[in-house]
Amino acid sequence: MNPAELTAYITSNFSGQLETVENDQAEPYFIVPLSDLVPFSKFIHDDPQLELNYLMNMAGVDTGEQFEVVLNPCSLVNMQRLFFKVVLDRGDPKFDTVSNLWAAANWYEREIWELYGFEITGHPNLKRFLLPDDWDDGFPLRKGWVGKNVIPLPEK
Amino acid sequence: MGIISKLPVFTENLPGGGLVTTSLNQILTMTQAKSLWYLLFGTACCAIELMATGASRYDFDRLGMIFRASPRQSDLMIVAGTVTYKMAPIVKRLYDQMAEPRYVLAMGGCAIGGGPFYYDSYSVLRGIDKIIPVDVYVPGCPPRPEALLQGCLEVGKKLRTQKLEDWSGPKNESR
Repeated sequence: MNPAELTAYITSNFSGQLETVENDQAEPYFIVPLSDLVPFSKFIHDDPQLELNYLMNMAGVDTGEQFEVVLNPCSLVNMQRLFFKVVLDRGDPKFDTVSNLWAAANWYEREIWELYGFEITGHPNLKRFLLPDDWDDGFPLRKGWVGKNVIPLPEK
Repeated sequence: MGIISKLPVFTENLPGGGLVTTSLNQILTMTQAKSLWYLLFGTACCAIELMATGASRYDFDRLGMIFRASPRQSDLMIVAGTVTYKMAPIVKRLYDQMAEPRYVLAMGGCAIGGGPFYYDSYSVLRGIDKIIPVDVYVPGCPPRPEALLQGCLEVGKKLRTQKLEDWSGPKNESR
């Protein structure tokens, strides 16, 4: 399927609400409601036409206004991939784990939990692995965070 | 007689040869400077230059430098690359495990002072001299193999000035 066909197939076959983001990239891009994260992931993972069985990348984003999680699954069967993201509640950033669908999500979610402080419900093994074990200095990748050890860039 | 004639001033060449008097300190430092085994500690891109230095084109071995994977067999620790706060206790522990006399060479901007990660970084240690004493700094990002070779020769020079008593016992704590 080419990107246009892929977009049409997913929007017509997925039961929930989807927002398609127009872009000039080779992959379709969706914004999925937070409550539909797991159903949508399950749909694209299990659907025989899609079979997006491999999570290439998953990252947290802090745009300054909102928290997002971007996922980039791909299919090693059909050789196609897509992007989708969920927007989190800024006051209470929280999303459900998809690590039971894509095993790769396990470490990505740990990374997001560690560096952004998003709460991940249902994750089997939330432990630090990037920061020192005794870290207690907040979440370094959030916008506006200034830690104890950070030396800010001097003004020009 | 080739080596003997190069020995320092304490040498006495007796008539007929075969007998030499020198100080233990001199003979030990001379042999040590000629076989400076180093602990491989490549944490970032400087390690690539370190590998290039060890490979056939620049050939570390001709200085008698052979890498050891164990700190207990090493005389010199070449810290090649970025050291993070998470890595810092490990560097310290490896240094503590090295037998004296021991030397440290900080290779590249990151190991010297944080390098490009000095500002706005939450994770990078600003120089390994915050945790262990450094004998020779080799600047560069990364330094070329020639610079590293020069640095190792400087370590050799410094090693020749060492006194055995400097390394024995708890006096070393003040170093």
